[in-house]
Amino acid sequence: MKSEKEADNIPGFSKERRDFLRLAGAAGLLMITPGCLAEAVKMADPQGQSKDLQKAVKILEGAGAMAASAGELDYQSEFAIGETLALEGFRRYGLPVKDSGVQKYVSLVGNAVARNSARPNIPFYFVVVNSPIYNAFSCPGGIIFVSSALVRAMEDESQLAGVLAHEAAHVGHRHALQSVKRAKFFEGVAKIGDAAMKGEKGKKFKEMIGTLQNVLFDRGLDQNMEYEADMSGMEIAYRTGYDPEGLIKVLEILNEKEATARKEGSWFSTHPPLSARIARCRERMKKYPDAGSLASVRERFAFYRNRF
Amino acid sequence: MNRLLFVLTGIFSLFFFASAGMAGAEKLWVSSADAKLKADKTASADTIAELPLGTPLTLLSSDSKWYQVSTASGKKGWIYRGKVSNKPPAKSATAGTSLGSALGQLTGSGIKANQSDTSRSIRGLSPEAEVYAAENGTPEECRKALDSVLKSRTDRNETETFLKQGNIGEYAK
Repeated sequence: MKSEKEADNIPGFSKERRDFLRLAGAAGLLMITPGCLAEAVKMADPQGQSKDLQKAVKILEGAGAMAASAGELDYQSEFAIGETLALEGFRRYGLPVKDSGVQKYVSLVGNAVARNSARPNIPFYFVVVNSPIYNAFSCPGGIIFVSSALVRAMEDESQLAGVLAHEAAHVGHRHALQSVKRAKFFEGVAKIGDAAMKGEKGKKFKEMIGTLQNVLFDRGLDQNMEYEADMSGMEIAYRTGYDPEGLIKVLEILNEKEATARKEGSWFSTHPPLSARIARCRERMKKYPDAGSLASVRERFAFYRNRF
Repeated sequence: MNRLLFVLTGIFSLFFFASAGMAGAEKLWVSSADAKLKADKTASADTIAELPLGTPLTLLSSDSKWYQVSTASGKKGWIYRGKVSNKPPAKSATAGTSLGSALGQLTGSGIKANQSDTSRSIRGLSPEAEVYAAENGTPEECRKALDSVLKSRTDRNETETFLKQGNIGEYAK
């Protein structure tokens, strides 16, 4: 291996090519993520003398931040964002139903399906909140809400499993975070040092949370994400052993209630039209010819539903 | 010479059929948490091994909702169909990434993903959520509600018992 001085003087190599070779050599050692590549470039030019390499550092650091923003945020940060949204969820929709038996029951159905989701190894949390609005939503990291009105409208456990599996699918696909991946908060997030939450970064964090609230509670996720969560939710329910038609039944029940139900902040306003969802889910049922032999669990569900 | 030709043909045939057999064997991957390799096609059979997420398996046969499979180490047994997929799970299926903690560096919370479970009951809400709650006047009842939700965990034994009582999945009669 040549010393740095020798490498600077390789005959027949222009300065740009020498820079490139330095970059390639260092990158070969550390080629994992754009962020690591940026570090590799810094190693190649520790004094920051080459403008070209400094440009490369900036580009690669930007790419690292993009990678972080594209739904690959570490779990801990994702969960903290989820906690913040959950606080708003309680404020907006209501507090948990005060029946530990009901909460435990919903958690058991939720956990049964969540371990067959795309992220079976993260802990999931489920809560039923007192709310007259037909709604369910998931916060990043796996905190899942379902309203008491929506649970009361259901008829059996496979329907509850279908809704919770739909929400677990959103978490599995990191849909909420994908919706805000271009938020300024995520820019350069991979290299933040000791900035404080009260500073500029804190302001951007609040802006990002505000956008996420708007997405989850008002505007809704991208329609394709909802369709994807419907398909994944049915698959998760089926793999768990519940009849995947449970989700369709819930959609049909809501379809009947739509004319008289409050729309604001509900599944009606934040999700694609029910008729379109039902049609797609019905088509999907062709994949499950033995669905009728799977569990619906009517009695156990009725026992808990009748408690609140 | 003829004898040599015969032996060589035999060797090539063996190699060909072995390769064809391997190529035709369907691969599966464990894609759920808490997957078990069972001695027979019923949940009440002995557990041969607990199979971690992503374990590659070779499909040997199937019967109703159960697959007979073998592991790379040669263990043979049965697994419920809902526990496997014909594609390996995404790397992001497990918690955490290599990018480090975006928020942890902001506030110094520094709790790693694999510590989040055990540390939860001690630390309460994350520092980021605490700061947000303080600055936005989040009612105390909302904070308490979230804290109680995060403290209520469901373990795998409870989930298994629940599925068994409901005759669901591998516990279906």
